[in-house]
Amino acid sequence: MKTILYNIISLIILSGCAKIDNYAEPGETLKGTVVDAATGDPVLTDQGSEGTRIRMRELSWTASAPENLDFFCMKEGIFQNTKVFKGHYNVRVDGAFIPIVRVDTNGDTLVDESKTLDISGVTELEFKVQPFLKLEWQGTPTVENGKVTATVVVTRGVSPEDFKTKIEPMGNYSDDFLNVTDVRLFVSQVPYVGYREWDNRYTTIIEYPGDSFEAHLGEPITITTQGTIPSGRTVFIRAAARINYATENIKRHNYNEALRVDIP
Amino acid sequence: MIIMKSKYYFLYIILGLCFANISCKKYLDVPPVNIVNEGDLFSNSKGMQLYLSRMYSQMPFEDFKYSPARQFFDDWLVTPGTNEGSSLGRDAGEAMTSEGWARNGAYWVRAFNLLRDANNLLEKLPSYKANFSDEEYNHYIGEAYFTRAMVFYALAKRYGGIPLVTSLLQYPEKDAAQLEVPRATEEETWDQVLADYDMAIANLNEASPVKGYANKYVALGFKSEAMLFAGSVAKYNRITGFGQKTGVRVIGFDPATATAASKKYFSEAYKAANTIIKSGKYSLYKKKWSAGDKEAQYQNMVDMFFDASSPENIYTKDYKWPDLAHGYDSYNIPRQLMGGNGYSAGNCPTLDFVELFDGIAKNPDGTIKVLDNNGKYLLFDKPTDIFADAEPRLRANVIFAGDVFKGAVMDVRRGIYTGSVAGGIAPLRVVNGATNYTIGGPQTYNQTDAYTATGAFAGHKSLFLSQNGTTHEVVTLPDGTKMNGGGLNGPFGTSDLTAAFTGFMVRKWLDPNLPQELVLEGRSEQSFILMRYAEILLNAAEAASELALAGAASPDGDDLQQVMYDAITNIRERAGADPLTGMSELAGEQGLQVIRRERRKELGFENKILWDIRRWRTQHSDMLNGFTQSDGAYYRGLYPFYSSVADKWFFDAGFEEARKRFRITEQEYYFMIPGDEVTKSPVIDQQPGR
Repeated sequence: MKTILYNIISLIILSGCAKIDNYAEPGETLKGTVVDAATGDPVLTDQGSEGTRIRMRELSWTASAPENLDFFCMKEGIFQNTKVFKGHYNVRVDGAFIPIVRVDTNGDTLVDESKTLDISGVTELEFKVQPFLKLEWQGTPTVENGKVTATVVVTRGVSPEDFKTKIEPMGNYSDDFLNVTDVRLFVSQVPYVGYREWDNRYTTIIEYPGDSFEAHLGEPITITTQGTIPSGRTVFIRAAARINYATENIKRHNYNEALRVDIP
Repeated sequence: MIIMKSKYYFLYIILGLCFANISCKKYLDVPPVNIVNEGDLFSNSKGMQLYLSRMYSQMPFEDFKYSPARQFFDDWLVTPGTNEGSSLGRDAGEAMTSEGWARNGAYWVRAFNLLRDANNLLEKLPSYKANFSDEEYNHYIGEAYFTRAMVFYALAKRYGGIPLVTSLLQYPEKDAAQLEVPRATEEETWDQVLADYDMAIANLNEASPVKGYANKYVALGFKSEAMLFAGSVAKYNRITGFGQKTGVRVIGFDPATATAASKKYFSEAYKAANTIIKSGKYSLYKKKWSAGDKEAQYQNMVDMFFDASSPENIYTKDYKWPDLAHGYDSYNIPRQLMGGNGYSAGNCPTLDFVELFDGIAKNPDGTIKVLDNNGKYLLFDKPTDIFADAEPRLRANVIFAGDVFKGAVMDVRRGIYTGSVAGGIAPLRVVNGATNYTIGGPQTYNQTDAYTATGAFAGHKSLFLSQNGTTHEVVTLPDGTKMNGGGLNGPFGTSDLTAAFTGFMVRKWLDPNLPQELVLEGRSEQSFILMRYAEILLNAAEAASELALAGAASPDGDDLQQVMYDAITNIRERAGADPLTGMSELAGEQGLQVIRRERRKELGFENKILWDIRRWRTQHSDMLNGFTQSDGAYYRGLYPFYSSVADKWFFDAGFEEARKRFRITEQEYYFMIPGDEVTKSPVIDQQPGR
């Protein structure tokens, strides 16, 4: 009797699932860099939703509207996704640089420098962009009484004229967009230091109202961390700055490279 | 064996035939005789009551079954106030950045059930008009518009532009693909909210025919609230974008129309609120109020939340055990009076909220004064002395250390200080000799020198604490009696947060007469006031202020400055707060801030303030104790200590020990559309940029 029961049950169950998911697993790789169009240097970024975002949309998938497949750039400005389905894709990047896809107030596309390509095997891409700001360390950080002092120089990666030419057609333009609003010296105990990974006991945030930063552009800015980092610790520091302009609704920072500092 | 097998085959064939035959004949296709159908429901007011009951049970009311973490229709851990900055709780207390862990699903999905009921009523009821008097018929039509307005408003403030389904979708008659409605622009959405409230106001009765139904003034009240939201978003929102599938501006306003839209919405908010004020039907609750008598003013403001006959109540959500009850008392009761389910103190007011009020000695920067001019703690004979002159409204909101609740003195004490008081007691947050009240300082008092006997306290431990409600360090007082380090309500640091971990406990909404054995989940039945007259006054004042700032003329000819002045003056008088110095205090941008501050004081814990700081777009950007919420911010607490040597009390103010971190980014003002809804539809857009 039991066998009959099992047979009937399996008959009922099996009748519902004739389709087996036999789709090949994703094995292609998309990798690349986001570089400064002017210098060819990678555009350094935070690792997270306030950093450089790679957005892929698979156009060869037609069963439904293409979904956004997002992942984020590594802090060195490079990206890699090793689990991509073979197919035809549109890829765009958004970060603290002039948007490569620009639309006006009616939603009409003005410029579209996103890339549409077939991804198969290892596909490499390079995005040339214009970062809003560039940050560079000057000298080496010093440590005194558990406080790190570092000097950073902030310059524009894109000239105000070029910025205006490209952003103004998008509508609702304001000269305030170019104002540098804050410079930060992020401190963390891991190398992935940035907006999503910082220790608020030590990190210093300097806010600049209006266009008051203008005079500091290209000039060394010396920033000292807050509090006292206990002796014997290793911390990683990074400077970041941003302008008063949001790309994809987020005001993102530009960064310099993370430095390791050992607190004696 | 073979015979047996063939028997099975026979069985399978029979079984197969059964499955095959089911769908062929249509003899089941008759109207069910045991189910009430629309013709029955729309035949008289009793039937309509059933229809409306079903609608009201799905209404997006932010009541005792709403929390920002779990959204609607979930009464677990309901602790209103914990996301707006008024309070913190063990299980709550962070910025609302999404629909959290809504067990009943995102409101996006739930909303359309009720929307269909409303549209169904609007389309079908006209065929049954003859069954009702004109007054009844109009009221039911008004109910349908009111419901639709409430649904669209609830959606708009969460998502921006939404699919404006304003007719009954013919499903299953038509294919689902033909019935797809894309998201409209945010501006079209708010215009629809406005139009639906206006239709509700035009059709609803002056008074609710059945308690719990809407009426004209209820709709006017919510209209003023919704239009204030719309006007604020049009003015202050900075994020916008176009849907990927439709190219429609699904969030934010077109910069070309935003200013005009904002003026229009503020004007509508003002008119709706001022219509209620001029109707004279409602007034501030002042039954026990007496000029100059702080005790009476305090009691008046406690009573107003429990008096069903309050002239201030415009609309309430009523509960009745056992059919419809909630657990507010259980989750928010002071730990000392904890009920049988073991919950308590889920709603601990922040010092930042307390400091908004008058009648407290403050430093020049507005923080509470706990230190004397030499930087040593002020000493008080009783813990209540520090709030002896506090604004009565504050006492009606918050239970302080030493206050009386349900006849018991509320024992709130962080610890006992046994050190010398000669020359005064220096601030406690000291580690290895370094005083540090920044975020880098000691998180709890367990780390301080006085507790660990280091630094200046080396060799003489001077601070005694309780680690939780059962593990105490006991101090023998000079008179020989013994005292636990922590009070019955704690605070106990971070090891046990079911206590007054900010040093305060909520009083608002707590039933002062509920016996302790009934302080249980699903046992409370006090009403939630969804709309009260004080909010109408504040809506009128804020809309008037915004209109004046925009240089607009008064929409109804009344003097805008006078409307603001009367509203704030009346609210402050009832609250026992300091009166305005004059009409000029409400002028300009500064005046707007005065009105907003009044709102935070009056409407805390009522599921209003979180929406206010979101529509003002200040939630991410307001500086809060040195940080903004976009960088991650923290609130402060006020910790009472007892000095055993001096037999005095002192208070330590600083970051609260649990370090609840509030973080929101600007784009999170708009919730994400549920991913599967975006995936399965060819027209529904995700929020731009996300």
